[in-house]
Amino acid sequence: MKKGLAKWTGKDRVGYLFIFPGMLILFVFTIIPLVVSFIISLTNLDIFLAWPNMVGLENFKRTMADERVLNAFKNTFYYVVLSVPIQLVAALVLAYWLYKPTVFNKLCRSVFYVPVLCSFTAIGILFNLMLNSTVGYIPFLISKVSGEPVALLAEEKYAMAVIIFISIWKAFGKTLIILVAGINDIPGTYFDASEVDGATKLQQFFHITVPNLLPTINFTLLTTLIGAFQVFDAVYVTTGGGPRYTTETMVQYIYLRGFSAPYELGYASAMCIELFFVIAVIVLFFKGYMERRIQNNM
Amino acid sequence: MKKYFKPYNIIRVLVCLIVLFLIVFPFLWLILSTFKMQKDIIKWPPTLWPKRWTIQNYIKVWDRIPLASYIKNTVIFAGAVSVCSALVDSLAGYAFARLQFKGREVIFNIVLLTMLIPFQIVMIPLYLELHNFGMLNTYLGLIIPRAASAYGMFFMRSFYMGLPKSLEEAARIDGMSEFGIFTKIMFPLCKPAFVTFFIFCLTSNWNDLIYPLMMTNSTKMRTLSAGLAMFVGEGVRETGPALAGALISIAPLLILYCFAQELFVEGIAVSGMKE
Repeated sequence: MKKGLAKWTGKDRVGYLFIFPGMLILFVFTIIPLVVSFIISLTNLDIFLAWPNMVGLENFKRTMADERVLNAFKNTFYYVVLSVPIQLVAALVLAYWLYKPTVFNKLCRSVFYVPVLCSFTAIGILFNLMLNSTVGYIPFLISKVSGEPVALLAEEKYAMAVIIFISIWKAFGKTLIILVAGINDIPGTYFDASEVDGATKLQQFFHITVPNLLPTINFTLLTTLIGAFQVFDAVYVTTGGGPRYTTETMVQYIYLRGFSAPYELGYASAMCIELFFVIAVIVLFFKGYMERRIQNNM
Repeated sequence: MKKYFKPYNIIRVLVCLIVLFLIVFPFLWLILSTFKMQKDIIKWPPTLWPKRWTIQNYIKVWDRIPLASYIKNTVIFAGAVSVCSALVDSLAGYAFARLQFKGREVIFNIVLLTMLIPFQIVMIPLYLELHNFGMLNTYLGLIIPRAASAYGMFFMRSFYMGLPKSLEEAARIDGMSEFGIFTKIMFPLCKPAFVTFFIFCLTSNWNDLIYPLMMTNSTKMRTLSAGLAMFVGEGVRETGPALAGALISIAPLLILYCFAQELFVEGIAVSGMKE
């Protein structure tokens, strides 16, 4: 008790005061619900919220035997492995090309940011119709080339690829803007000096831009990675997990199990917790790796 | 002049133009389609340009759902959340970046860990909590749980870490209080980051679907995105009004962006403190 008091009155006090409002809100509205969620995962609670029974680790055991869980994990990994690198590399290259404030660059940057402003509800309405096999404009264009209109979202082969495209299409503008800000933070003298030394654009990119941009890349990598593991909206508004579960990701399946018949909240919570641990391990690995890289560059 | 025709520049501009087209085309198609007659929208082969222009779709969607009150709710919800979150997060982000206190790294790692939690996992307990507080279907209930964000703290921390140490050290030697250093020196310097995060936050809350859908069940508390999703989910056979609704839901942010964009782009550009 005394030690606690000393902490509050000592020189650490200012720091605690600064983080207090934020921590309070995070604690009440994220951490407590998380703990409650752990408890729910040990029960057979359903959406009618009748008094549930404790079932121990039963839910976790059931997920291990559930083929759709395995399938959903596979789809989620497929989505992450493709969407994250493509989005980051595309945004990085475009940011490097567009960071100077010329009229053309500014125009590109502003337009690329527009999809970020749209809700997935709106994007879903838009793409569903554009890709619809009987009235859509894209299948019409495809039919001009190949003779057959292809309903991209209804084909097992293409559905996930299309979802990945739509997600990148919607989100890369934000990554781009952050990276442009990061590049503009790099002292201009670095570039000037290397130009005097006769460095090519490619050399500049790999030896000046990327190393100096690592903290910003770190930020975008981690947030993109976390977002990608939790992909839901993009699936929900386009295929809803079909065709034949080929686009069913973890959160989509969790949503389906917990919030439509048979409303198994306990089972859904157990899957949430498994997903949480998978994300935690992978993200913390990347965080450690990136921070070592940044340290080495300092 | 010659340097504009180097292959490097040609590729650069070409790629940018292609991406530009990929972004603009769907929106162009959306805008044009909202002015089409229903039978033209569902016609094969589809046409880009409307045969006959009509504003029927807009009239229909305006009649069916209370768009004006959706817009009001969305502005209040997203606006208040963004202001609160940007303030709270910049305080915390500053502390994590620049102040020394026991357990700083541990607490920050916990904050980081909360970012890994899919919203779906806390959805049910959060709903029960707000139900117990009697805050469902109120603006407060929508706003307070979102008034701080781990993402925001991470973002603000990154920006504060980039500022030169000499700034605050001089002030500290002059005997300025820590709070004074923050409000008079550090916070003004990070205004660009503040504005940037405010816009990020505004956008994501404006467009959020599940959260406002869960925390409000009365029609008059719905936000644009949630209301539109309900409208489409009701199994509307007519695609025209749905497209018009989609465009209307995008429009307010887009208009704001057009006006505030200069501030936005400029803000994010000078946020670096070049020594």
